[in-house]
Amino acid sequence: MNERQKDLFQKFGALAGLLILVAVFSATSPVFFSMGNAMTVALQVTSIAYLGVAATCVIITGGIDLSVGAILALSGVVAALCVRAGAPVALGMFAGLLVGAACGAVNGLCVTVLKLPPFIATLGMMLVARGIALQITDAKAIGGLGDSFAELGNGSLWRIVKVGSDGFPDIVFPGIPYPVLLMVLLALAASVLLRLTGLGRHLYAVGSNAEAARLSGVNVRGVTLFAYVLSGTIAGLTGCVLMSRLVTAQPSEGLMYELDAIAAAVIGGTSLSGGVGTISGTLIGAFVIGILRNGLNMGGVSAFVQQIIIGAVILLTVWIDQLRHRR
Amino acid sequence: MTAAFPQADPPLLVMRRVTKRFLNVVALAKVDFDVRRGEVHAICGENGAGKSTLMKILSGVYTPDEGTIEYRGEPLVLRGPQAAQDAGIVMIHQELNLVPHLSVAENIWLAREPRKGLFIDRQAQRQGALACLSRLGVAISPDALVSTLPVAQQQMVEIAKALSMKAELLIMDEPTSSLTDAETGRLFKVIGDLKQAGVGIVYISHRLDELAGIVDRVTVMRDGQHVSTKAFAQTSIDEIVSAMVGRALDDKFPPPTRRPTGEAMLEVRGLCRDGVFGPVDFELRRGEILGFAGLIGAGRTEVARAVFGADPVDAGSVRFEGRELRIRTPADAIREGFAYVSEDRKAHGLAVKMTVAQNITLANIAAVLRRRCLVAFDRELAAARRYIDALGIRTPSPQQVVQLLSGGNQQKVVIAKWLFRESRVIFFDEPTRGIDVGAKFAIYELMDKLAAQGIGIVLISSELPEILGLTDRVAVFHEGRITRVLDTRATSQKEIMHYASVRRVDGAAPAEPTLSFLAT
Repeated sequence: MNERQKDLFQKFGALAGLLILVAVFSATSPVFFSMGNAMTVALQVTSIAYLGVAATCVIITGGIDLSVGAILALSGVVAALCVRAGAPVALGMFAGLLVGAACGAVNGLCVTVLKLPPFIATLGMMLVARGIALQITDAKAIGGLGDSFAELGNGSLWRIVKVGSDGFPDIVFPGIPYPVLLMVLLALAASVLLRLTGLGRHLYAVGSNAEAARLSGVNVRGVTLFAYVLSGTIAGLTGCVLMSRLVTAQPSEGLMYELDAIAAAVIGGTSLSGGVGTISGTLIGAFVIGILRNGLNMGGVSAFVQQIIIGAVILLTVWIDQLRHRR
Repeated sequence: MTAAFPQADPPLLVMRRVTKRFLNVVALAKVDFDVRRGEVHAICGENGAGKSTLMKILSGVYTPDEGTIEYRGEPLVLRGPQAAQDAGIVMIHQELNLVPHLSVAENIWLAREPRKGLFIDRQAQRQGALACLSRLGVAISPDALVSTLPVAQQQMVEIAKALSMKAELLIMDEPTSSLTDAETGRLFKVIGDLKQAGVGIVYISHRLDELAGIVDRVTVMRDGQHVSTKAFAQTSIDEIVSAMVGRALDDKFPPPTRRPTGEAMLEVRGLCRDGVFGPVDFELRRGEILGFAGLIGAGRTEVARAVFGADPVDAGSVRFEGRELRIRTPADAIREGFAYVSEDRKAHGLAVKMTVAQNITLANIAAVLRRRCLVAFDRELAAARRYIDALGIRTPSPQQVVQLLSGGNQQKVVIAKWLFRESRVIFFDEPTRGIDVGAKFAIYELMDKLAAQGIGIVLISSELPEILGLTDRVAVFHEGRITRVLDTRATSQKEIMHYASVRRVDGAAPAEPTLSFLAT
């Protein structure tokens, strides 16, 4: 098997797991396999998917970003505060993105200039960002943000509604929710970045062997910094979308999301030692987690048991991955 | 074959027809080897001759595919290094196996800590360490952290650790490579004591001049085979060397096709890094191969890395094609057309998880970008195929992960990376280390061909035959300085060794041979 076939095998392995999950849940629950539920799952998965893309880019360089959950909260809260202070929604959300990017830049500088281990740098940022989010909101949710704030998280593209003969609105096509659309666009863009651009190639090179990359003329610091800024920005975006979906900004939102994101990447075949990983794999990983949650919820499995099952699935997939590499 | 060496007892160790293969490569072919109690048996051979493989079998790291080992008169099957240690077979590795963050005493007793009930008996540990160290006559505190010791002292700690194990068979792999003369002297005295105590010692060294003082018998290996075993008194360094090389030097190296022009393309003046090397001056001429010779640690690699921008410098100037360069990072150097093929391919040369094609384009990804942005895979693959063909890289496809290639082919991938960057000055740092003989020749040929195209090449090598066989001129290093630049055709191993060992820059060629082995 050459590497390409191996890669396909790995992806189809995860994909097959995903299909089995769908089949099992469809068989056990009559409502699981429906358009409505598919949309629900897709919407629920978006946050993990966005953050999974961010995690993949960072992990490919051999790093880790534990701060995305907290940055998400801070960015969302900043966006909401701006909107409540009278700023247009677009401007507020842009401010949220900037905050995310800034947090990512601090992470990146801690790693590249101060030479802190990524785990520690982003652990620090996790606490700092969460602390700021709680401090500037007094730990209270920010509500009353208006319909336009909610549009990004709740609107859809190509939603077709007809007024039926009985006078009630009749939904012909529910449309593609903006968060789902954004997920597809983000994944495509990240795939292009990683697979097709010189910068993407350098991300892999830094993760595979930073010293060899440096001696080959790769700007290792710049590339690493970029990965963290990208991760922070995506976390900021996730915050804006999530808070918009909830129509309130919660400073305690996004707790432990970083772990879901890392899990999605790892299930999708990204190696924590760097140099290996794909966006398509991560998306599959995100859906594995999302569908497991959704299906188990519908099956009435308690949240605690869900945790146990998802934990076991992560261990199992990574173990299988290790076996594959050990051969 | 060793009838002249009287010995009543049966040997301590007898290896018969030991064979070891790695995949399809035969590393050892039916090798016979024996060690008696109280003797020092040296193994000589070039890199890749199979010495290390043989010793790794003896110390339980590898299991032989064929052959028998008899130890203390009984058949010996080793399941791992621990089993070898338990049997009293102890190896002092060339690369140090110490834990840097533990103290000297803790390292000496690692995994064998003396205990008092549940706890480590720190007192006994310290005393034991002190005893071993004082036996070696070195003033190292057992409480010092290993990371704070210079390499030579770490080497002594490693030896002390071996002493503490009460070895019956001691294997020393290049034990003196980082020791001073005084330290070497003390080590030899300890070896003498161990001989008296009946310990059998296997001694591997590239410094043939050392052998005279301590060695009883010498076994020469070449290309994984046993060549000869003789009592040291009945052989000579010349005989050993010719047995090691096994053929005339001309066969090992391709005839040169290059014609250096004599015009300097690269001039380095006063290059200096405090406490590491310098000041160093040298020039590289268009189309020549300039050798950097010297002992390990003489500063050859450091100078090359500094010119390449991989390490900082404190002073000095680099002129290239008549222009003064300011090189701060490897990226700066690469932009000017410099390349560095590193000593340690896996650590510094290759992104081993990436494919052959990706590694070849790593230093010049811009050349395969479409509209300066997206990688054009067709162009990348075409480029990779071109270099795979040109350099004869044996790989199933350009998409193969580099990790899975052999050492020689990995080295060719590194070279391909720099050729694809259209480098004009290439530093080769020990380019043939750990590479089999066939691939070596191919790399030699390639270096000559590149020089013939007008590329300036610096060859750093610890193997003098390689320096003599390949270069046009040799810069000899000693303790961070170039002591002499010699014309290769007019020099000899003897002269190079002289300038590699002198402590000051002097003009006169050696009137009398100064190294002990030259007297034999």
